[in-house]
Amino acid sequence: MSSSRASRLQLALVLAVLIVLHFYARPRLLGPRFAPDFLLFALVVFAMRSGPGAGAVAGFLVGLANDALNPARFGASALAHTIVGYAAAWGRVVFFMDNLLVTSGFVAVGLWVRDFILLIASGVDQRQLLTELFLYSPIQAVITAAAGALVLYAFRQWFAVRLDA
Amino acid sequence: MFPPSDRTFSRRDTALFLICIALSLTAVFSPERITTGIANALRGTALWPLVWLQERAEEGRTSRARLRVLMAERDSAAIAAQDLPSLVAENQRLRDLLGLSRRLKGRYVAAEVLHQAQATDARTLLLNVGTGDGVATFDPIVGPDGLLGVVSSAGRTTSVAMTWAHPEFRVSAFTPAGNAFGIVAAAPSATGNDAYLEFRGVPYRDSIPAGTPVLSSGLGGVYPNGIPIGTVVGVAREQPGWERVYRVRPAANPGSTAHVLVLVGSRTRSVGDAFAVEAGIGAPGDSSARPTQRPADSLRAAAERPGSGALRPAPRATQAAPAAPATPAPKPPSPAPKPAPKPVPPPPPSRADSARPRPSAGADSAPRPGPAPAADTTR
Repeated sequence: MSSSRASRLQLALVLAVLIVLHFYARPRLLGPRFAPDFLLFALVVFAMRSGPGAGAVAGFLVGLANDALNPARFGASALAHTIVGYAAAWGRVVFFMDNLLVTSGFVAVGLWVRDFILLIASGVDQRQLLTELFLYSPIQAVITAAAGALVLYAFRQWFAVRLDA
Repeated sequence: MFPPSDRTFSRRDTALFLICIALSLTAVFSPERITTGIANALRGTALWPLVWLQERAEEGRTSRARLRVLMAERDSAAIAAQDLPSLVAENQRLRDLLGLSRRLKGRYVAAEVLHQAQATDARTLLLNVGTGDGVATFDPIVGPDGLLGVVSSAGRTTSVAMTWAHPEFRVSAFTPAGNAFGIVAAAPSATGNDAYLEFRGVPYRDSIPAGTPVLSSGLGGVYPNGIPIGTVVGVAREQPGWERVYRVRPAANPGSTAHVLVLVGSRTRSVGDAFAVEAGIGAPGDSSARPTQRPADSLRAAAERPGSGALRPAPRATQAAPAAPATPAPKPPSPAPKPAPKPVPPPPPSRADSARPRPSAGADSAPRPGPAPAADTTR
């Protein structure tokens, strides 16, 4: 088996684990407002490994799935995840390092940006917007980043991430 | 080790990005009729494994608590059976009362709520039942505490419910004393967890004291009569001489609800009986307003009174059937707008409504089942 094929299999395995974590383990953790968003973390990981175009397409598909499962405003989540997926890959192309803290930090920022776009596109009122953006989203972003760091650390050999700051 | 992505940027990437953005914007601005169909199709096909996985997770998450409840009930029953054999029969009878589902006389479908990680969760809920289970659009969603919302779209295996926190939610409501009718809607700043409702359209002459429960009136044909919606906590605003708008604390919180009941079939029947046990309220004239002990109460009392003899259900039964019309339990002592001794007019069970002055015909925001006008199905 060639090394690139093995790497793709490893990536697929990690993404599958994250999807199972998101839909099977996350409902048992904390509450829906605070549980880590493994799907967004999987999107960021995939986008960083696959390039901006693939990241955008993956973000669109992830967002479409979220829209179908929580149809507050169909298309809003697809829009938000497309932008986050593209930005993750673009950021890595331009200046990101394969660093644990940098990747985790981008996951946190990405989740906040995702929520921002999602709420704006969903047309929520100002009070809910402020509550979500400055209370719930930051908390969930930090928790998701921490969970992502654990996953990255667990698969550090496969991801070849640097642990130094 | 994963190969690092080629740190290059091509026109193809930009094109893919723009195509995805265009598709997303198209979805955002598409009519809800189309997007609902797409969402239902996705949930029934490609996303079905994920929905199935989440169902299993919800079952697993709640199974421990359910097991604890069952074990506690079993232990209580075992203790009672050892000391008071006559309680065995009562225990079985009271078990039959346990749970809202046992008390509902109409048809219903039990459903699990599949909460999502998104910020808009609790405005809409994804339920794991659909048309295959008998659920249809505009079926009311209730929890043990009261009204949660209405099914806004139903797929084959899943459905989407609009909760009371949704800005477009409306339900025709009244107070158990029968002195005020109006429309309940989410307050403009509703967020789902800390939100309040508004009881609108109440005539200025009809004053409602704080603490008064608000129930669905059954007008409009969507929600049955007698479902608790919330409790009045004060006046939100008023238009002197014309109307008052009251703040209502919701009875049920969709943000923390894991299991719901979808009321299917006919909605003309009052369901006040079922909720009166939990909430201690009921429409006047309903037998639901009788004080009823919870099943565990008698067992607990028996355990605390060793050797005190068997509990007798009969006195409770006679106590529970006063001749006078029952009055709602949480009625406060504050001055009522009408003379106290005057008998309270009966509540609005659907058939009697024709004799009463009705509010506007289309009281519920959600359209009636059947051939609905086009405006009902669009936002």
